[in-house]
Amino acid sequence: MKTDTLIEMLARQAGPAPDFPVGRHLAAAASLGLLASSVLALALIGPLPAAVFYTAAPWIKLVYAVLLLVGTSALAARLSRPVSSTVMARAAVTSVFLLMLLAGAVTLITTPEGGRWSALLGQTWWICPWMLMMLSLPALTAILWAMRSLAPTRLKQAGFAAGLVAGVLGAMGYSLACPETSVAFVAIWYSMGIALTGWVGQWLGPKVLRW
Amino acid sequence: MKNYKQHSDFESGLKPLWLRAQSGNELAYQEALRLIAGRLRSYFRRHLMNLPDEVEDLVQETLLALHLHRDSYDPTQPVSAWVLGISRHKLMDLYRRRGRREALHEPIDGLEDDLAAEEPGETLAKRDLRSLLEELPRAQRIAIEMTKLEGLSLTQASKRTGVSESAIKVQVHRGLKRLAALVRKEPK
Repeated sequence: MKTDTLIEMLARQAGPAPDFPVGRHLAAAASLGLLASSVLALALIGPLPAAVFYTAAPWIKLVYAVLLLVGTSALAARLSRPVSSTVMARAAVTSVFLLMLLAGAVTLITTPEGGRWSALLGQTWWICPWMLMMLSLPALTAILWAMRSLAPTRLKQAGFAAGLVAGVLGAMGYSLACPETSVAFVAIWYSMGIALTGWVGQWLGPKVLRW
Repeated sequence: MKNYKQHSDFESGLKPLWLRAQSGNELAYQEALRLIAGRLRSYFRRHLMNLPDEVEDLVQETLLALHLHRDSYDPTQPVSAWVLGISRHKLMDLYRRRGRREALHEPIDGLEDDLAAEEPGETLAKRDLRSLLEELPRAQRIAIEMTKLEGLSLTQASKRTGVSESAIKVQVHRGLKRLAALVRKEPK
């Protein structure tokens, strides 16, 4: 077929361009991912005692995750199509992270000296990032799948953004089961787990987001 | 400077056509795709110095991709930037398929990488899309042949096949998507 024939064929009765379903597809994938990470956390680790939810600890994690979700999902949406600028979304993600780090530092300073190490490392620092990443994998799969149906052209960045969103959803699930209570712990180890998931996404992006 | 001017001429010629095409104007769409095809040809020719035979195939593959992903165009952005984003993606994809070293370097926005240049004429494509169409599932192939090649309206096609208009539209879209996948898979 000649290129000009192809052009005629593509244009013929093409109709108006449909709406770009980025919000719908990413939201559906994220909901699935959140469901998966919550169910996995409850089934594999077990829920925290109900009384814990009357304390601040799980809510700190959830608020941090929700704030990160805003920026990371905006980033993922923007990287799901060519050209659109990511400056604002990146700034949003970075500032939430830095604020959390600052909050962690402040609480650490106000902690009596003897308790600082345990506030920083808790009981589970060595497992938290890995557990969080593992709980994020279904979300990562779903989000990459959704992105593939859109039009990402910056594949490493898009994969990284997908990984960050998945990591945040994993953090939400994990917060239902994670016994740690200090702000500094969340600022360091939760962020580490989310970043790990981001790097997995960045590695996968160029491999699976091809079209 | 000369490049920049050519580039902005390209954009100012393309954008109004493209916007009309996006809202459903068939002739504007044709004309826009022709403009784009010319630029793609010279862009790919510059980047496929060692594979001149691939140029026209990649032009066709990219046009198909632009069509299938035209919903991803954001009207606040220049059309040429959107086209370039997808073309570059297609070029990288070709490199990766070939396992070429170039694939290791993700392209960065650079001055040499724009769509502004003279337009060489169409050469012969190695791969024939018409014969690839034959490999589509029957319903998709027929929907494409009737509405896209014979030029029947959706209503006429629906009457002739007894399938609803929206079903035909879906078959056409799926068929073109399948065609794009076949194009990428086809060993040469």
